[in-house]
Amino acid sequence: MRKLHLLLLLFGFLSYSQQNVPNIKTTSIDGKTVSIQTDFLEKDKLYIFSFWATWCSPCIQELDAINEVYEDWKKNLNVELIAVSTDDSRTQKRVKPLVNGKGWNYTILLDTNQEFKRSLGISNIPYLIVIKNGKIVFTENGHTPGNEDKLFEKLKSL
Amino acid sequence: MKNYLLVVFSLFLSTLLQAQEKEKAPVKGLLSGSFESTGQWYLNDKERDLEQDSIPLRSNSYLSLNYNYGNFTAGVQAESYTSEALLNYNPKFTKTNLGIYFLNYKTKKIDATLGHFYEQFGSGLLLRSFEDRSLGINNALRGGKINFRPNDNISLTALYGKQRTGFDVSKGSVFGFDSNVNVSSLLKKTNYELSFGLCYVGRYEKSYFEKPNFSELTNAYSGRISFSKSNFYINGEYNFKSEDALLIAATNKVTNDIIKPGSAALINFGYSKKGLGFDTTLRRLENMTFLSEREPQFIGIERTSLFFNDRIMNFLPSLTKQNHSNLSNIYVYQAQGGVNIDPTNGIAKAGEIGGQVDFFYDFKKGSLFGGKYGTKIALNFSNWYNLGGTYTFEDQFGNYAPNYKTNFFSSKQKYYSDYNIEISKKFSSKVNGSLSYINQYYNNRYITGAANLLIKTNIIAAESTVKFAKSKSITFGIEHMWADTDRKDWFASSIEYNHNANWSIYINDMYNYGYDIKEKQISNGVDAFKIHFYNFGGSYKKGSTRIALNYGRQRGGLVCAGGVCRFVPQSTGVTLSLSTSF
Repeated sequence: MRKLHLLLLLFGFLSYSQQNVPNIKTTSIDGKTVSIQTDFLEKDKLYIFSFWATWCSPCIQELDAINEVYEDWKKNLNVELIAVSTDDSRTQKRVKPLVNGKGWNYTILLDTNQEFKRSLGISNIPYLIVIKNGKIVFTENGHTPGNEDKLFEKLKSL
Repeated sequence: MKNYLLVVFSLFLSTLLQAQEKEKAPVKGLLSGSFESTGQWYLNDKERDLEQDSIPLRSNSYLSLNYNYGNFTAGVQAESYTSEALLNYNPKFTKTNLGIYFLNYKTKKIDATLGHFYEQFGSGLLLRSFEDRSLGINNALRGGKINFRPNDNISLTALYGKQRTGFDVSKGSVFGFDSNVNVSSLLKKTNYELSFGLCYVGRYEKSYFEKPNFSELTNAYSGRISFSKSNFYINGEYNFKSEDALLIAATNKVTNDIIKPGSAALINFGYSKKGLGFDTTLRRLENMTFLSEREPQFIGIERTSLFFNDRIMNFLPSLTKQNHSNLSNIYVYQAQGGVNIDPTNGIAKAGEIGGQVDFFYDFKKGSLFGGKYGTKIALNFSNWYNLGGTYTFEDQFGNYAPNYKTNFFSSKQKYYSDYNIEISKKFSSKVNGSLSYINQYYNNRYITGAANLLIKTNIIAAESTVKFAKSKSITFGIEHMWADTDRKDWFASSIEYNHNANWSIYINDMYNYGYDIKEKQISNGVDAFKIHFYNFGGSYKKGSTRIALNYGRQRGGLVCAGGVCRFVPQSTGVTLSLSTSF
């Protein structure tokens, strides 16, 4: 019965699609301080923040797949993908060689103690949000192989 | 009743939110939060001789709410463990209560928190407070923290707090100071990157010894430096923990007779450019168990807070690859950062020394190995050893008096190694696949202190995904493991079907078909037959919400995430989990 209540409650929450960007500072892979709220404000540009980790195979699958079509996306849309590594200090050292080894062209942020991830209440990765004009305009959790095309269609509509 | 109130409260909030949404008023106050719940229903399993747990229905739920108004944010996290926490979670997580509360003030330069907070200094070898719900860890500090950033290149943090344990805090007081300076940006240099950090962590706990031979305040210091230029990078960290009473692992008591310092050294360097990555990490840990109270607390008769990863101040992850195949996660290494000199089984260890090497390479499209769509390869090697030196169990009168003297660069018994290779390839725009080979060495006696078993495994795993129109796809995998000295041969298979971006179902099985009863076995009589560990379930996800249902068998053993492991008992049952954020 209680679970039923919770379910109802969940669907109540589903209706919130718009959210403000958390006031968080994090570090880029080259050691620069980055503010999530103020460094991604170019007018009408779509910023995709994709939360991943070196040990998360669906995350890597998703980022690999987007990397294949990333140049096409950029030709059609003013879009940038920011891959937020939630690796803790166990695996964080593997981020840089993995990103380069994979040949990814993304901006990489390090969320070592998961402050950014926590601020969005993320339970599981992969998880992505799209920020436009300082607002979260789209959220998606999990990865479905082949969903890149659908995501691209969605981006075009935002 | 309390839970019911919680639900009503959330409903009320959700209505409130909806009202806010509709009005579209210029927002000043903002509410955000998340909810996560995992419920398990434990069942009988005749084949496994498993009786339903006396409390068959258990759940862990977390409701987190943050209210932001200008520079201020107030937050709470209510947690509910009903009827009790899931099996083998810390029993100190009980009933419904407020787990976390804080008030935060944040401007461009200042970030101050009163109440509970999370923090990590450097790589966490001295201090890391964090939450990991899957491991049942929440060691937030309760007190005050202030972070000051005069500019983007300098960050200073000071904190004081007591560590959360269950819904309470532990007795020890924790003091900390951390600094980070990005020298190259400060000097406006762009052709290299140089930064360093210094930190201090103190723990004060009054001792029950009348005349303690050690300081009641334990001081720990750390210095770190990071340098990179074009494709090359190197960083290092050295941590020192002042002399403190040694914790005797067999009794979980400290001794006033043996007083030892601790240290941790870490070096990481690598070279990487587009299509190529090379990375090496070396680490040495000695006597680095650092608890917010010197002695672990007994929880029940046999278990202590350490068993539940409770009251631990620092983070000593195992530096090995977190393989994703199912069978490669049966013999997992746990970092050996502490001292254990146990005359009952002859084990003497004071820490670990070892390293890990990674190599990533991307064969370009159109090249010999790349083919039409390219091929990616990842190699990883890790080796971990006990510290070399002299270890003594007894004094000249034959009384138990553990002691050790280690050498800095020497190793003794091998604890663990993992050599693995993974090749992934895209065959067409619809099909991709990967093939892995993993070779592990697991010294059970030295890692866990139990049966004298050396386990050498060979694992082969293959996985492939086929995509169809309209976001439909099937992923299937097969694996085989040879583990001759323990439970022998294993075969695992899995199929996952994604119907669209919302719905997916899966089924998998790990079959230990080579099982043969032996004198010494890690599982020690548990599931002592050729057993299928099957699981199946499905999930629905939309936006930030995910609902998943699973039925199946849980193998008893270690479940690990991020280099920290939790023991889970064998069980068979149904799991329902929900998560959402708003």
